[in-house]
Amino acid sequence: MAGTGIVVVSVLLAVCAFSCARADSCGKPEVTTTSYTTQDATVLTNIAYIAEISLKCSNAIKGLPLYAEVNGKILTAARTSDDNRYQVSWTEEVKKARTGNFNVNLFDEEGYTTLRKAIRNGEDVSSVKPLVSVTLNHPGAYNGPWVNSEFMAAALAVVVWYSAYTFRNKLLF
Amino acid sequence: MSAKKEPVAFTKEEELLLQDFSRNVSTKSSALFYGNAFIVSAIPIWLFWRIHMMDLYSTFFLFILITCASTYLVAFAYKNTKFVLKHKIAVKREEAVTREMTKKLAEDKKMSKKEKDERILWKKNEVADYEATTFSIFYNNAIFLALIIVCSFYILTTFTPAVNYTLSVLSAGGLLALLSTGSQ
Repeated sequence: MAGTGIVVVSVLLAVCAFSCARADSCGKPEVTTTSYTTQDATVLTNIAYIAEISLKCSNAIKGLPLYAEVNGKILTAARTSDDNRYQVSWTEEVKKARTGNFNVNLFDEEGYTTLRKAIRNGEDVSSVKPLVSVTLNHPGAYNGPWVNSEFMAAALAVVVWYSAYTFRNKLLF
Repeated sequence: MSAKKEPVAFTKEEELLLQDFSRNVSTKSSALFYGNAFIVSAIPIWLFWRIHMMDLYSTFFLFILITCASTYLVAFAYKNTKFVLKHKIAVKREEAVTREMTKKLAEDKKMSKKEKDERILWKKNEVADYEATTFSIFYNNAIFLALIIVCSFYILTTFTPAVNYTLSVLSAGGLLALLSTGSQ
């Protein structure tokens, strides 16, 4: 009897372990993204890139830790109050900030480990398949007018002066 | 023993002629110059109040003082520039004025040749005076404002606004007065 009990318990444990392992990965992930990037950089030193990601898994998993990879940089996706909502954000100096589309690759724990391993071994990061990938677009920030107003004022004043000067010379000589 | 020479008084025509070619300007012209100089000198107050963020009330006396000094310098420059320009303009416009006045006075048969000449001279003087006055104001204003802008935004930008204001307005006015003393 005792032997049968042990078998039953071990089978149950095995089933549980299997199902737990399954529960850790997100099946058929679907994402909806909203993003924000700094638009006006006239008085700023850094541009902020923020992607808010809403993850939906077929197996209704919640609270999965996620990691993001952007341009070879690894970031932790912060979980916001809602269980399947995440936020990935980073900043870039205004001068270095690139415009256009950014690929934000999201990884779960398993993918993250593989990614770390790939980086450690100097392998190509793109070979690691992300859980899901989202695109963040930065159209570019406004850095103020091309010509600042004092330069404009000075240039105009000099032009007026020059015209006055040439006219005076015409009168004098 | 030499006889003491009695100072000969000028005739009215001579006085008028002297006045036309002297550095002194008429009261009307002087008022115009000082009025304009004051307006131009007061313009930097706006620049330093609104753009350089100087407090209008706490630096009120500085503004008044510098504006007065600058008004004097700019008016001085106006006068000198006008003096230099007036003769040149008179020579330049002589032909045109003579032609126009001769045409105008040709119908008047009663007028003597001397009077016609006098009228032409008077008109020539008036035209030259008017043109020299207005051009002098324009020319000096252009230099003054350009100097103020360049000084305050580029040369003295590291100073505090009060120092920047004092130095830029006074140096612009001073430079303007200095430049106007040249004969060319």
